[in-house]
Amino acid sequence: MCSDSGVTELRTSETKLEFPYTRTVGPIVGAFLTGLRDGKLLGTRNRDGRVLFPAVEYDPETGEALTETVEVGPEGTVDGWTWVAHPTPKHPLDRPFAFALIRPDGADTAMVHAVDAGDEATMSTGMRVAPRFRQEAKGIVTDLEAWEPVR
Amino acid sequence: MERCAVVGIGQTHFKKTRDDVTIAGLIREAVDRALEDAECTIADIDAVVIGKAPDAFEGIIQPELFLADALGAAGKPLLRVHTAGSVGGSTFVVGAHHIITGIHERVLAVAWEKQSEGNAQWGLAGGRSGGIGAGGAFAPWMRAYIHQSGAPEYIGWQVAVKDRLNAVKNPYAHLKIADITIEKVKESPMLWDPIRFLESCPSSDGACAVVLTNEAGGRRAPRPPAWVEALSVRSELAQFPGRNPVKPQAGVDCAHDLYRQAGITDPRSQIDVAELYVPFSWYEPMWLEGHDIAGPGEGWKMVDSGETEITGSFPVNPSGGVLSTNAIGASGMVRFAEAALQVRGQAGEHQVDGARTALAQAYGGAAQYFALGILRAEPT
Repeated sequence: MCSDSGVTELRTSETKLEFPYTRTVGPIVGAFLTGLRDGKLLGTRNRDGRVLFPAVEYDPETGEALTETVEVGPEGTVDGWTWVAHPTPKHPLDRPFAFALIRPDGADTAMVHAVDAGDEATMSTGMRVAPRFRQEAKGIVTDLEAWEPVR
Repeated sequence: MERCAVVGIGQTHFKKTRDDVTIAGLIREAVDRALEDAECTIADIDAVVIGKAPDAFEGIIQPELFLADALGAAGKPLLRVHTAGSVGGSTFVVGAHHIITGIHERVLAVAWEKQSEGNAQWGLAGGRSGGIGAGGAFAPWMRAYIHQSGAPEYIGWQVAVKDRLNAVKNPYAHLKIADITIEKVKESPMLWDPIRFLESCPSSDGACAVVLTNEAGGRRAPRPPAWVEALSVRSELAQFPGRNPVKPQAGVDCAHDLYRQAGITDPRSQIDVAELYVPFSWYEPMWLEGHDIAGPGEGWKMVDSGETEITGSFPVNPSGGVLSTNAIGASGMVRFAEAALQVRGQAGEHQVDGARTALAQAYGGAAQYFALGILRAEPT
């Protein structure tokens, strides 16, 4: 039975369930992540001479094991983009930005990443961008913070 | 219906932690060895079937999607199988069905687990704390078996010694304890009564792959194939009134269906070697009875008389079995792969002399999912 005598607020007890996993990154993805820590962008070259970026262990089309890493960029070209006018807390930047397909120089494929362009009018397909790395790089994928227009 | 032949077999060396490779790299080690054995390339594969135990074990949901590149599966049918611990066996069966139905000519079936990336006991508990693990779940049924059969306590120790000595002869096995003795097993810590530490399986990283093909493919294979004679899968609920978890009906039905297909009326004399899923020592006599190889209360006597030794009349787990190697998702397929190696005469130091007919068995969940197969040296 409930009564209103003296109870003025709901009482809750929070519990947090966590379980950490350990991901082995191997020689290729590991090299890519180490590269980010050192401010380098690494791709992998396949048998046809195409450079896939970011570096992948296996060719997505043929299943071929890829072993040759290639440094690409650092600058790249925007192959396509969409403007995020109202970022949510889960977005990579806390101000309006573009999600873009970015193809670093020397690479034959593009990756999706954020362009910190400030204003939608700055964005255009074919524009040139450069990576911005975090100050305290840790060898994880978020070491690559965003891309910026090259002026 | 097409005949199905196993023409390529590949395993990784199983270890506690393979921190030198990604999940994809681990799987490709097994796949590349199977392709090499079959003398074909990944481009020659028509369809891929992949199995593993719960996604919670590594924390990757639907890992078959990100593994498509490493499996060379672009533009090909890629099917995931999941039947808990029996999944490696079920994956083999599903792969073989792709051939038997005539849909595909060459199928890659692969099963894996990288247990070092997570914690299987936590995964089995569905994220709840205080999980009892597989050993805790199976212990009461093992106790019930001992009670019902009157088996002496040392039977479990004997199975542990046998499988660990067999593992020493298997280059791919994880745990190799060459100086194992009954005394050492007996004195090892009790984990879940009646199961002691040395009567339990390890946690392993590893993968196993097979290349399956049809009769024409089998006949032109570079090495002798293993012919798939019969396959069966059965399952039942984990709990229901009147369930016998010591000898689940699904396991009995699965075995009888298998024997009927293979024309086996006396499995004990007509099967030359068996690879049974025995993660805890007592499951050897339990499955000998659970699949009607031995009569009620007779399974432990086969162990006691040495019949299940590699040199005995009914060798069980010459590879060292799950007791020595348990990358959970892979373990069922390893049973089928090892059975195939035996009838191909390619099991090396753990080869059973004259093995022509082999039984492969995997079970999973609360002893509720079963996958069984008969492999032969010659097609019948």
